[in-house]
Amino acid sequence: MLETLAQAVINGLLIGGIYALVSIGVTLIFGVVKIVNFAQGEFVMLGMYISFFLATYFGIDPLLSLAVSMPVMFLVGVLLQHFLIRRVLGLGDMPQIFLTFALSLFLMNVALLLFTANYRTVDTPYSDSALYLGPLYFPVAKLIAFVLAMTLSGVLWLFLHATDLGKAMRAAAQKPEVAMLMGINPDRVFCVAVGISLALAGAAGSLLMPFYPASPMAGQTFVLMAFVAVVLGTLGNVKGALIASLMMGVAESLGIQFVGADSGLIVVFLMLLLTLAFRPSGLAGGAMR
Amino acid sequence: MKGRLRNSSALWLGLLAVVVLVLPLVVTSRFAIDIFIRVLLFAFIGVAWNLMGGYAKQLSLGHAAYFGLGAYTSTILEIKFGISPWIGMFAGGVVAMLASLPIGALCFRLRGPYFAIATIATAQVLMLLFLKFRDFAWGAEGTTIPNLGSDPLMMQFDAKAAYYYIALALLTAGLVITHRIERSWMGYYLVAIGEDEDAAEAIGVNVQKIKRDVYLISAFLTALAGTFYIQYIYFIDPNTAFSFNISVEAALVSIVGGIGTLWGPVIGTALLEGTSALLQSWLGSSLGGVQLTVYSLILIAVILWRPTGLFGLFTDSYARIVHRKPVGARQAVVDG
Repeated sequence: MLETLAQAVINGLLIGGIYALVSIGVTLIFGVVKIVNFAQGEFVMLGMYISFFLATYFGIDPLLSLAVSMPVMFLVGVLLQHFLIRRVLGLGDMPQIFLTFALSLFLMNVALLLFTANYRTVDTPYSDSALYLGPLYFPVAKLIAFVLAMTLSGVLWLFLHATDLGKAMRAAAQKPEVAMLMGINPDRVFCVAVGISLALAGAAGSLLMPFYPASPMAGQTFVLMAFVAVVLGTLGNVKGALIASLMMGVAESLGIQFVGADSGLIVVFLMLLLTLAFRPSGLAGGAMR
Repeated sequence: MKGRLRNSSALWLGLLAVVVLVLPLVVTSRFAIDIFIRVLLFAFIGVAWNLMGGYAKQLSLGHAAYFGLGAYTSTILEIKFGISPWIGMFAGGVVAMLASLPIGALCFRLRGPYFAIATIATAQVLMLLFLKFRDFAWGAEGTTIPNLGSDPLMMQFDAKAAYYYIALALLTAGLVITHRIERSWMGYYLVAIGEDEDAAEAIGVNVQKIKRDVYLISAFLTALAGTFYIQYIYFIDPNTAFSFNISVEAALVSIVGGIGTLWGPVIGTALLEGTSALLQSWLGSSLGGVQLTVYSLILIAVILWRPTGLFGLFTDSYARIVHRKPVGARQAVVDG
């Protein structure tokens, strides 16, 4: 019993690392640009397909294709901010919500047209292997994904706290007007923030590829998890999103283990509704940390 | 001047009524009638969404919750208790209204994107519950509605035209209700809430009560559409009844046509469903994804270039042609 519980917690933490990459992306865009990106899951999906095609046609390991998916998605993010999001800033809820929502629908359905609804998998030497620690096991692909996800989150935290651009970003998130008076160019900061956020989504996609099938709808699960985690961890709070994502992973895994295989999502949604009901400002409270 | 304008719009309405009433007598292709029914139905769902999403700007992405509750209530009453869907339809509406109270109490504390996400979650939770509890309502397999041949009392007809007239009646009722609300105090309150909730509250609008009331109406109407749709396709399962696409399309047709306008959802649906039907007849139905790809492109274009919706385009050009005055002068003409 205790072992089952420990194993469920481990499984949850490992997948929670991926949720964290997606949630940090969502919360970063919200913190800096003040937009909820409904299309974040579709960028995870694009990252998956980038890794899938590189692996299938060039034999590149999905983990190495991080070096492609991250810069490509960063560029996509800069273009997205510059040509689309920038045009709806300050226009109110409807355009802001439905622009990224339409983008999500668009990417999902274009992927359906181009790649069909088939599930695509990549088989790596480590896809099926696991490390054993007493009665507990750690699937290698998920373990690598978790470690790299935590490393990327750490690098982002360092970037936000130790570099001028990162500090400018936090400043723009907290007090945009004052940041502008201090000579921070908001357009540039916004572009970099959306770029980084999408690069993280792309990284999540590549990291998922060794153990999770790519499909046009694959991003949906992750974006729903991310929304819950981001609300739970307070919108705009990077550290909160990270911790909440790990919690979500564990909650989902416990739900699957102890309530039934189809109950993971119900647990997650109920957590979201309860959070919204009792702590609508999130568990952490406050601005971007 | 005012009288003439009112007469001319009454004339247009009369013409429109004649056209839509004789349409199924003239057009007999089942494919075409099917499209007309879809247009009327989704326009009606759009009208229901628009009351809350358009006028009060509460951007729900979870109206499938009420569509599904309506659909399941009438189906359960029909199959398990032999009660006619005509009665089940309104029972479903009442169930949806009851459900909207706790859902509203939860979601209305939230603004903008939080509200949208919370409404998605409520619809998804309902779908997951109906998937999980098999004994209560057939679970994931769903069930077919027993086909009784032609039985008007059980909302079953041989002629597709009958379904067309039901959908038309629903849409007409939705438009009349919207029109009445638009001209009432409630309509002004709703617009005030849509413009600025805090300001509305400050000048004494009971924001929570108005939002709750309009949500009740919107949920009721959406549930009627759910019953009708399931009766029309003779099949129900959680993925159909609580389909996220229903929530999306309800919002989409209103936004494309003109959010917070009486005719916006109708124009939006005609445009979107018309495009979709054309695509289907050109490309065949084999290419999954084409329809929503095109919808999303239209939506992006509308948001970037015409966020008030396409309805304004029609009225502006109508005013320009009829009055031969620049658009800005239209108000003066009406008032004069």
